[in-house]
Amino acid sequence: MLVEIIDVIISGMINGSVYALMAVGLTLIYGVSKAFNFAYGSFYSMGGYVAFMIFGAHINNYILVFCLAAPILFLLGYLIEKALVAPLRKRDDWEIKVMMITLGLALFLDNSYQVIFGARMKSLPTILEGSIELGDFILSYQDIIIFIFSIGGILAFRWFLNNTRTGMSVRAVAQNPAGAQIVGIPKEFVFSATFAISTVMVGMGGILLAQKYFVTPMGGWDILVKSWVITAFGGMGSIKGSLYAAFIVGMLEAFVGWHFGMNWTLIALFAVLLTTLAIRPQGLMGKWG
Amino acid sequence: MDHKRIAIVLAVIWGVVAILPVFFGSTNLYMHILIMCLIWSVVASCWDLIMGFAGIFSFGQVAFFVIGAYSSAIISAKFGVPPIFAVFAAGVVAGGLGVLVGLPCLKLKGAYIALVTFAVHMILEPVLKGDIGRAIGTGGSRGILTIEPMNIFGYTFLSSEPIPYFYLMLLVAIICSAIILIVIKSHWGTAFLALKDSEDFATCLGVSAFKYKLRVFALTSFLTGLVGGFYAHYVGMLSTRMLGIDLFVTLMVILVIGGVGKFPGAIIGAFITIALNELLSPLGPYRPIILGALVVVLVLLLPDGIIGLIQKILPKKNNGLPIES
Amino acid sequence: MKKALTLLLILVCCLFAAQSTLAQDAIKVGVPLAMTGPYTDTGDNYWKGIKMAIDEINTNGGLLGKKLEPVRFDTQEFAPERVMQGAEYLCGKLKVDSVHAGWAGWGQDVRAYGKYTAPFFADDGSQAAVDVFKQDTKKYKNIFQLTDTGINQGQSMFNVLMALPYEYPNKKAAIITADDAWGTEVGETLKENFKAKGWKVPLHEVVPYGTNQWGPILTKIRKTKPAIIHVEIVSAQEVITFFRQFMKKPTNSILSYGYSLVPREVVGTMGKEADGLIGEVPTAMPTPKAPTPEAQAWLDKFQGIWKHLPQAGSWAAYSGVKAWATAVEAVGDEKNHDAISDYIATKGYKGETGWWKWDADHVMRAGGDVPIAHYQVQDGQMIAIFTDPPTKPYKDYKFQVPRWIKK
Repeated sequence: MLVEIIDVIISGMINGSVYALMAVGLTLIYGVSKAFNFAYGSFYSMGGYVAFMIFGAHINNYILVFCLAAPILFLLGYLIEKALVAPLRKRDDWEIKVMMITLGLALFLDNSYQVIFGARMKSLPTILEGSIELGDFILSYQDIIIFIFSIGGILAFRWFLNNTRTGMSVRAVAQNPAGAQIVGIPKEFVFSATFAISTVMVGMGGILLAQKYFVTPMGGWDILVKSWVITAFGGMGSIKGSLYAAFIVGMLEAFVGWHFGMNWTLIALFAVLLTTLAIRPQGLMGKWG
Repeated sequence: MDHKRIAIVLAVIWGVVAILPVFFGSTNLYMHILIMCLIWSVVASCWDLIMGFAGIFSFGQVAFFVIGAYSSAIISAKFGVPPIFAVFAAGVVAGGLGVLVGLPCLKLKGAYIALVTFAVHMILEPVLKGDIGRAIGTGGSRGILTIEPMNIFGYTFLSSEPIPYFYLMLLVAIICSAIILIVIKSHWGTAFLALKDSEDFATCLGVSAFKYKLRVFALTSFLTGLVGGFYAHYVGMLSTRMLGIDLFVTLMVILVIGGVGKFPGAIIGAFITIALNELLSPLGPYRPIILGALVVVLVLLLPDGIIGLIQKILPKKNNGLPIES
Repeated sequence: MKKALTLLLILVCCLFAAQSTLAQDAIKVGVPLAMTGPYTDTGDNYWKGIKMAIDEINTNGGLLGKKLEPVRFDTQEFAPERVMQGAEYLCGKLKVDSVHAGWAGWGQDVRAYGKYTAPFFADDGSQAAVDVFKQDTKKYKNIFQLTDTGINQGQSMFNVLMALPYEYPNKKAAIITADDAWGTEVGETLKENFKAKGWKVPLHEVVPYGTNQWGPILTKIRKTKPAIIHVEIVSAQEVITFFRQFMKKPTNSILSYGYSLVPREVVGTMGKEADGLIGEVPTAMPTPKAPTPEAQAWLDKFQGIWKHLPQAGSWAAYSGVKAWATAVEAVGDEKNHDAISDYIATKGYKGETGWWKWDADHVMRAGGDVPIAHYQVQDGQMIAIFTDPPTKPYKDYKFQVPRWIKK
């Protein structure tokens, strides 16, 4: 029994690190610009496809792939924000308009992937083969790398927000856009940049997870829904909240799946989410939202 | 647009729609598409009332539609209730569930409401397919493949002869749009306007946001469920495949084309979107690409949809209450 | 603004133009398949078979001297009104003379196309579709199923599992299926069979599509150590992630993938890594060597056109078109739908491997010249090791004990 429970805890931790990686970008855009990005999942797939193309060009080193993909994704995210989201910001009902335009964008992107790359899934080479065995338990290097990247990435990002000037100006815009502008922070640029950074983060997550779970044209929807649940659960805009929420959700899924069966995980997940929101409408640690 | 103008526009729309069978009546396919247009126009109008008008980001409209469809099919099959009463019972079930969902979630903020209502959509599929669903008669993942056709006073509406059903649906759509118009016109409408202008001030004056929001939520869920019931008895079969992303996106496109918060817009949007969808259908995978691009372009260039365009072209005669912000 | 409208207008005009250029004297053949959404890939497999048959007939002078003209319809995600609309469009408006589908709606299609008379071929493999058919065999006489039901396929999988030249270390089986009609049908059948044989089924899990973290299930598997694990999820992503996570610490279990072995990416992605997996394809052309010279010629031709081995459904869909064409030639009039349906139902069709006969339920039951083929992945290739029913080894291909099973 104990062995099993530890095994389930390990699965939960792996799930949690994957979810944390997915969700942090969404919480960032929502926290800073209050914009809900429906195309988030499509950016996840975009990361996978960009990596797929880089590998197609016979570049077989993951470090190189990350270095090449990051600026591409940043540029795409920046341009999309400038062209599609920024013009809407002036309107009263811009929140709903942003949801709609990003939904349209998601539809456009997902189906473009299908036309360009085909409906079949694409796989990337495994980042690091092999696994370590600890008595009854087994951990693959793949999972360990995902875990380190996601926790490391989130902590580094938090450090950046709290301790650098640029990071502080991002937080200033998040807390009070008008005030930030008065003290000379380029508000528009911060909005575009955060959107671009979030695209890079989810795209990187896409590459990292694609080598374990593959890339498919419509694969982004699951990611969007999961990230959405986690950000809302943790409190939209709170990075620390997302991190906790991701691990709680990961554990919950592992235990419910193990004890009650896999088709109860979604129901259990939403039951817990609803209860949490009924008690704390702003999520676990939400303050900006 | 003031209410008189909305009423006139509605009358024109329904008048034009009513004579369409003269041109298309001979082809079942076109009649079928028109019936679907009528059904989606009601669902989209309800969604518009919630989202554009009451300002609640509800994403559960498809879910309430499916709940209504399943309830009506199950009620008519299990209890031998005639379909015409079953659809109303289905509306009540959907409305009741709407209140249940609304109670906790209307106190939340924008994106949270969207999530919770969308969650209803997400959970519905495992529930309908799973043990719970099978126990209440959803047929699990098989779906319900035999549903009694609609019949009123001994007259049976068959899907092979769609013209009578078209007029029945037209009647339903007219009644639903009239109800929505009355809601907008009534003190509910004024209350929402006040809440939108200044929630704090309106609350001070004794306008309870929660109460009004819950009522609108219940009403639209009821209407959506009712139309879902009509759908079930028309199509004659149901499966959880209606919960796919396609239908959800189509409804969203209807609102974008019609204009959010521009009431009769959703109705016009439904007809345009469904027609466009059919025209683009031979293009296979390029259809959703074009549809997606269209949404992006329209949101940027025509943020108020088709109604916004009409308002721009027609000379302004705005002396009534401006219901749109 | 104006530009956008002009563009839109041009687009709409183009569409109308495209629609009106259809040839005049041709026989229209309806092809409702998923062209967008999650079922696109399966739709593609059927289309390849159908296209091949139509091109073949057209290059040989057409049918009754007329060219065949396929009209495609996108069934998207098989929502009820979409299935119905396909029938209204193809049969009602265009008045096509036959309809060739693949997965078509699992019973919804029987209702929709049964309203019309044009022969309709589907590959539902579902008892639900047969149940609808039985409600009114006269009305639905134009409906033909190209494969046997999930129940009978599950039965066949069980027969072969029991016939494997391998001694099971215990009598425990784990069954994991998707939550769709197909998966549950197969899962229930296997479970009943195992129980009847005195086996235990300690794990019977129904999972939603998109499951790719198998930790909790594998925990249970590693505890119970079943002799057979059957996975029935027709989607590559799920079954590959399952296999890889299972292989981190395998148990002494035969991995039976049933129909889930067929998505082309499963073996395509894993190659030799997939060695040892077993699975089945109904209405299948056994590979790598076909049973007859004609069949081998067909196989070579298919590979010549599409540059890969046929996938599940390609040959079935191809044969549907050919069976219909044969009946049309015999009847002599493509418009006489009733006579054509009667001909197909009574006479059948002689294909590359032998006779196709539809039973009273208009289902192409497995067996005879068109059995279910059971494969094992060996050296990165799907090798037919058994055919069933009756259960017998195929040619001299042999079952190999998977590499993860330790003695």
